Amino acid sequence: MDQLDAAADPLVTVDVATDGVGTTIVTIAGELDIGNIDAVDTAVAPLLLTRPERLIVDVGGLRFADSSAIALWVRWAASVDEFELRNPQPLLRKVIKMMGLAEKMELDP
Amino acid sequence: MSLVDSERPAATGPVRSTSVGLSGDGRSLGDLGVLWVPAVVLVLALLVTGSLAWVSYHQYTRNERRLLGLRLRDAGALLTAALPDIQSELASAAESAFFARATASAKLGVIGLLRPPGLRLGYAFATPGVTDGFVAYGENQLPADRRSAIERTSAFTGLDYALYLGSDQRFQDLLLTSQARLPLPGPTDSVTVPFGNSALTLVMSSRIPLAGSLPQRLPWIIGIEGALLAVGASVGALRLTERRRSAEDLASRLEVSSSENRRLYAEQRSIAQTLQHALLPDALPRIPGVQTSAQYRAGAQGVEIGGDWYDVIDLGDQGLLLVVGDVSGRGLPAATTMAALRYAIHAYAAQGDPPARILTKLSDLVSVVDSNQLATVLCAVVNPERRTISITSAGHLPPLVISGGVGEYVELKAGLPVGVQTGASYTSTTISVSPGATFLAFTDGLVEHRDDLERGLSRLRDAATADDTGLPELVSRLMDELSYAPSPDDSVILGLRWTS
Repeated sequence: MDQLDAAADPLVTVDVATDGVGTTIVTIAGELDIGNIDAVDTAVAPLLLTRPERLIVDVGGLRFADSSAIALWVRWAASVDEFELRNPQPLLRKVIKMMGLAEKMELDP
Repeated sequence: MSLVDSERPAATGPVRSTSVGLSGDGRSLGDLGVLWVPAVVLVLALLVTGSLAWVSYHQYTRNERRLLGLRLRDAGALLTAALPDIQSELASAAESAFFARATASAKLGVIGLLRPPGLRLGYAFATPGVTDGFVAYGENQLPADRRSAIERTSAFTGLDYALYLGSDQRFQDLLLTSQARLPLPGPTDSVTVPFGNSALTLVMSSRIPLAGSLPQRLPWIIGIEGALLAVGASVGALRLTERRRSAEDLASRLEVSSSENRRLYAEQRSIAQTLQHALLPDALPRIPGVQTSAQYRAGAQGVEIGGDWYDVIDLGDQGLLLVVGDVSGRGLPAATTMAALRYAIHAYAAQGDPPARILTKLSDLVSVVDSNQLATVLCAVVNPERRTISITSAGHLPPLVISGGVGEYVELKAGLPVGVQTGASYTSTTISVSPGATFLAFTDGLVEHRDDLERGLSRLRDAATADDTGLPELVSRLMDELSYAPSPDDSVILGLRWTS
């Protein structure tokens, strides 16, 4: 599993794993907001260029996310066939549901 | 808009580093201050050194003089002790020559220095006043140059001397000296001892320090060491003074730069707020039957403009269109998107589009794929006469309606936020309210804090129904109570109340 140094931002870590048959798992931990969103985006962008069929974003270790983060995931979701936001914290889950994005993010009901 | 959970540390204001130029010109006065202390240290140290050197020199010369005096006393005593020998030699010579007993009255007379040939000291032993008495005469041969050095082994080695006949130290009376040139160099001392009817005067001076070389060198040692110490101390004082000065300088610069930072921060915050307020409506339209009130508050990190906005649009016969929206992110990109959406809503509303269509059309203006932005928007069409509200949400928080003292969030089927997908469809929910009902729409900066989103919504509802006040007061109070510091996000609250 590669750990991508998201512009040396101490608040966020990004890990990327690929199973080789089209599924990519991006694990984001820490805090993700407008301040470091570009660094995370830059770190993951090359993988999206390979057009993975399925992108799983695991945010179980994410303590904080703002709407920029949701915008980023929506954009990632638009670039792949299947997208899944895995393990969001309860508050994040509620917000995504409230925004009408639960289906888009393939959240468990 | 942002989602804050309990782990989020308190928001802090950004720190801008600003270099504040302090020119070197202002330092000339300060340099005098820097030199003042070392100069005083130098002068004081030199004064102490000079005094010590002078005291030690004074002591040295006094000691030398005293030692010379002691030596001279010894020499004078030796000389005095040697002279009776001459007298007794002459007396015994007289006795053997004249078979006469040398009387006690016989006196030694000194004739003086005789020359030439050679240089001689003549003296005679005679009975004064007696013509038939005897005279014994003697001479002492003196070196022609009258030089006679003191032997190295002598107790008086290291001393110079001059021996004169008589009590005056005249060159013609000089008998012997150790020095080629007279008078003797350096401090001298003299002693006169009687010699017959004349006297001998011994003048002495020391060629080397009598008390050893250390006391002689001591004043110099003290002087030089002291001067070096004085210079060292003053240089040290200069460095310390400069260091203190630069520390004070740095402190004052930091003071200046932090106040400059505060000023710039306040200025930027003020610019952001001014811009934000410029993008928000000046005055809300007034129509009979309802009253509106709105407030915007910048987030704690308010140096950047936010993306929250509100609007009230007069739809004529159809009533009022209330809009509350929130563009993701901050700064100019969020603000420009916000402005674009706000004016687009005005335009689409003027064309007669209902809110659901307006929101669908907005998705053509914003694309999260292109600009990495999305926006949540709540539209509410209020009919004052019929007391109905038709609400359409693009991923926005539900509005709160207080009717008959009971507050309830309107259950909505929220559509996608604007920018997620082009052609997104939206459905509107229409509710009827009782007379005097209050409608409150807001952005998430107002309700999301350290705890749960639902708890934030409950708190807003409780606060809104706590007491019965005028609408502007209610809006202000909710803003004050709920957007407690430090909320990192900006907040909007828009209220409408039926006056009948």
